[in-house]
Amino acid sequence: MAEPRSPAPVPPNPASLSSEGPMAVEMDPVEYTLRKRLPRKLPKRRNDVYVNMKTDFKAQLARCQKLLDGGGAGGHREICIHGLGLAINRAINIALQLQASSQGALQLAANTSTVELVDDLEPEDPDGEAGEPITRTRNNSAIHIKVFYPAPQSS
Amino acid sequence: MSGAKSRMRNKNMRDQPSNVTYSSPGCRNGGDSGGRPGGSQHGKRHGLANQGGGWVRGHHSGGSVYPQELPKYITSTYFAKARAAEVKAMLKAVNKTTGSCHTFGALPKHMRRRAMSHNTKRLPTRLREGAQRMLDKSLLTAKKDKVESKAKSRKARRRHGNLLLEFNRRQRKNTWLETHIWHAKRFHMVKKWGYCLGDRPTLKCYRACYRAMSSHCLLQDLSYYCCVELQGPEQQLLSALSRLTSKDTGPTFAAVQCLSGRRQGSVVLYRADQYPSQPLGPVLFLWRPRSEGSTHRQLWIWGHPTVKQDVLSELQAVCQCTEAVAPPTVIAVPVPEPVPSPAAVPKGCAPKQASGRKRKRSEQDSDAEPAKKILGDGTRPPTCPVTWKSTSSEIVINDLTMEMVRYRLIGPLSHTVLTETLCPATDCNEEAKKSQSCFWWPEHCKQEQNMALHREQSDLFELLKGVFSSAEIPAGSVLGLTVDDPRITLPRHRQHAQPDLQQAIGVDEEKRRALTLQGVPEHCCQSGLWDRTVRDNVTDNKMSEKELNQKRCELLVPGSRLTPTPPQGRVPVLLVHQPGKQLGQEMSSWGAGWDLLLPKGWGMAFWVPLVYRGVRVAGLKMSLKHSQHKGAPHFPHDYPDCPAGARFQDEQQAELMNKFTRRPPAKRTNYVKHGCLAPFRCPWQQLVEEWVEIAKETAESCCGAQTGTETGTEAGGVAPSRFSVLRSRKVMKQLSAWCKPTSSRGQRLQRGAQGQPPAPLTPATAASLRAAHGHSLVWARFSLLAKGRPELHAMVCVPTQEDLRLLKKDPRSAGPLEPRHKDHLRKRVKEARKEEKKEKKKKKKEREDNGAMDKTKKEEEEKEEEVVVAVTDDVAPKSDTPSDPTQMPGEQPGPVPALPQNQEAGSTPIRTSDGDLSVTVALPERSTAPSGQEPSVSAPAPAPAPAPAPASAPASASASAMQEEKGEKLVLGLWPDPLPSVTSHCSRVTLGWVTQGDFSLAAGCGEALGLVSLTGLLHALLSQPPEHRGLLLLRNPSSLQYRFAKITIEA
Repeated sequence: MAEPRSPAPVPPNPASLSSEGPMAVEMDPVEYTLRKRLPRKLPKRRNDVYVNMKTDFKAQLARCQKLLDGGGAGGHREICIHGLGLAINRAINIALQLQASSQGALQLAANTSTVELVDDLEPEDPDGEAGEPITRTRNNSAIHIKVFYPAPQSS
Repeated sequence: MSGAKSRMRNKNMRDQPSNVTYSSPGCRNGGDSGGRPGGSQHGKRHGLANQGGGWVRGHHSGGSVYPQELPKYITSTYFAKARAAEVKAMLKAVNKTTGSCHTFGALPKHMRRRAMSHNTKRLPTRLREGAQRMLDKSLLTAKKDKVESKAKSRKARRRHGNLLLEFNRRQRKNTWLETHIWHAKRFHMVKKWGYCLGDRPTLKCYRACYRAMSSHCLLQDLSYYCCVELQGPEQQLLSALSRLTSKDTGPTFAAVQCLSGRRQGSVVLYRADQYPSQPLGPVLFLWRPRSEGSTHRQLWIWGHPTVKQDVLSELQAVCQCTEAVAPPTVIAVPVPEPVPSPAAVPKGCAPKQASGRKRKRSEQDSDAEPAKKILGDGTRPPTCPVTWKSTSSEIVINDLTMEMVRYRLIGPLSHTVLTETLCPATDCNEEAKKSQSCFWWPEHCKQEQNMALHREQSDLFELLKGVFSSAEIPAGSVLGLTVDDPRITLPRHRQHAQPDLQQAIGVDEEKRRALTLQGVPEHCCQSGLWDRTVRDNVTDNKMSEKELNQKRCELLVPGSRLTPTPPQGRVPVLLVHQPGKQLGQEMSSWGAGWDLLLPKGWGMAFWVPLVYRGVRVAGLKMSLKHSQHKGAPHFPHDYPDCPAGARFQDEQQAELMNKFTRRPPAKRTNYVKHGCLAPFRCPWQQLVEEWVEIAKETAESCCGAQTGTETGTEAGGVAPSRFSVLRSRKVMKQLSAWCKPTSSRGQRLQRGAQGQPPAPLTPATAASLRAAHGHSLVWARFSLLAKGRPELHAMVCVPTQEDLRLLKKDPRSAGPLEPRHKDHLRKRVKEARKEEKKEKKKKKKEREDNGAMDKTKKEEEEKEEEVVVAVTDDVAPKSDTPSDPTQMPGEQPGPVPALPQNQEAGSTPIRTSDGDLSVTVALPERSTAPSGQEPSVSAPAPAPAPAPAPASAPASASASAMQEEKGEKLVLGLWPDPLPSVTSHCSRVTLGWVTQGDFSLAAGCGEALGLVSLTGLLHALLSQPPEHRGLLLLRNPSSLQYRFAKITIEA
């Protein structure tokens, strides 16, 4: 899965969230099971790299390096590294490592954004009157780092 | 010489002068030499080349005879007369063509060619005539044979009507799905469960199918799933159905979401009020959305064909629906007038053929044989009723097997495939609305509210284009829809459906968000498919392929779209979302997709357009892999406690056994040597019982109670409760938390998610759980830490302290090795075989005395039978305690010490037989022989071994007695039936077995799914240090290598 899926940086305790959530006031923390959906999958270009926390760091770094170097035919002039939640750190780390190893040839441009995530709360007792599963959204931060060779005329 | 032969000889020798006598072999010589000049009449070369042997032979025999009795003189008249007679005989012999003498035999070998038998012109001229004659003769006879055997030529057989008759004949036993012919051309077909199903494609596409599942779309025909329809007031239905399910296992029929009709649910059914024992199997169910102002509801229960009969009878019991209603063949023919096809569609035929058959029948004999119109499948007899009414309540049960087509699309892009293939039904024009129509759609259009609903549904369907993955939709959503005939929009070439970014942008973001959050609103789940009349109307009025092509042909611009859509081209469908992997932390919602429900008869019309969107098609094998990747148990493979699962196990055992015995004996795996007791079938019951016994022993020893009561408890025996698979969600969750090492992140997450930390694993909590679910098995997933590919029926074992140390030292270590076991059964097998032979010989002698002649044949038979021999009574295995006493210290909370391993190498296979045919045993055996001389002695075990093999003692005691009565079949390399203790047979204690195992492409390591004994698991977990909790060993049946694996219980 090349999906940037944070393995829950913040354990979203339903009890704590219920104070913020507008809809779930009567929610009893014991009676629901939290199930997180995957973040929304967006179409992916060749030079997009989604960083996750499961894959080995070195492998992800090597992958980015390979994209930039371009085995034979020609590498990309720029790649985009995306990180979500816990993986933001790692995305930054990878970008900086790339830059450091290129002896200043690469430049970075970072963007941050917010990603809406969906949680399903499934009642333990689905047959009761409160048996409606609840769907909730929650936000998480994300970073998109553009790693690129600056245009030739400027250098 | 027989009478006929002598008569023949006399006839040949009729003209022979009396002074020339021939001995009987000489007679044949004469014949040979007689052939020579005859041959030379036809052609010299032939005679010389072929019959040279005859020359030499004749000469020799003659040479040896002449010198002694050459007459001194000859009378010329006699001599000439004799020669004349000879010449006459020769000529006669030559001119006569007998059946046996073949023309080609006359040709020397190097001149023969294969094609000569067909084309006589390839033969030398002199042989042509004879050959031609032979050819004609053979042709004549062949023709006669053929005419007798096959009445029709190939052309006639392939003619449409005849072909259909043939098809009907062939599917009498095993029903065909509508896509059968498509599949049969591309798949290895298997006959299973009364159907002909595609097992796997003939292409090599294992990996491609995996890729399709995880990144594009995989298509399966699930039409063989059986649907049972329940109708009745909601309250009555719910109260009846609640007896079959339990809330412990998760949402039931009454779950609010499902009851409203917005979601499809799945439950495991049990026999009425029997939870947690006697499960029947898992089913999917779908409620029809409420129609306003009515409490009358409709419910579909979809189940596997093997579970259908059980479910149906149970449903009839709980709903008290015993009154069978007349078969619906009467109802099935309300056909509108202007339709060209008046007869009802025969079941199971591909649509094309169906229409063709209709025509044929209407031409020939309008009253088609009623036997052909049988509804449903091969799982029930033709005259069986399909509807049952209740006498006390208003519930009606309908068997809708084969009434609908169900296709399953798996993969993140399956919604893209659907949106490309299906296109919401176009409105019909005004004049059609005004006039009365026999088709359902124009009638349907007349009501404005229907049209409003249709518009809403199609809007929702369009929204799917903005979704990037099928997993974004709430699990189990249902969407009703009416679509145009997909054959009309069939692309010219096969293409690969891709999400279209442009279309995605066009979609209203707000609405899309509502769809992903809330799912489909309730009223949009309604579909015409629920109505029997609509279904039948659509099925009967399907436009045949031919008519469609005819219309296409009349188009002005070739290849353009057919407009307007013909009025019969609107099909009500239901789209049902299939949730992917839901349990567990990893790979969530992997393998999500959509199910497409269609009215029958429309199977191929939708199948081909779907395939044209670049989906992969898979068979049964891939659906097994799908559930394996999802970590879900697959029915019926992984439900050993259900009747269908038990049946499957029997079949599987027979199949594996058959495969095993097909190999030559020298090439078979010797499972005894590998210490594998049950390579073909998992003895779950024995496993569970043994673990319960062990737990009891441990508890007793922990409490400091005397162990002297063992025999008493064994003799008294607890009521033998049948094992069951644990499905209670709560317990599963608790176990899943316990199985994780305490320091891992997952544990923290789990705690956070649950809101409160689960009860920690202590002997007390474990004991309480054990008391409640002692005889349970737990479904678990095992992922290997390093190398290894688990196989079917691999053993799940508990690592010893040593093993854990080994792993600590080297995290990538291969794992411990099982010491090789000794096959002491081998001797017994041989003895038995010898005995068998002796007896046979004896019998044979007796028979020979009687005068039987076919000795050689019998010997051959005997050789074949060597493989499986029957053991005579005196070699029956006595109760064995092979190293169990020494092994058993391992049942104390501490892990099994390493000591038994060494001992085992020498002394495991101890079995004594005290008959006269006693095995001459090696030295090590004698040391333990006293303990195992009598079956009854072994139960009250000697003092140094306070805990003998718990279940083996009673089991083997009773079994050995049974065995003595009937001869037990012994196969080299397999244990005979009363197995010794399954838990402690090997150096590591066995917890359970793997039912599915393979290298997982999703996880990148070997993964296995299997069942373990709950008691055993708790026992193992308690004995493990917290940081190593959940580490187990896996060992394949045909290997001695243990591999480390991590157990995960997903709940």
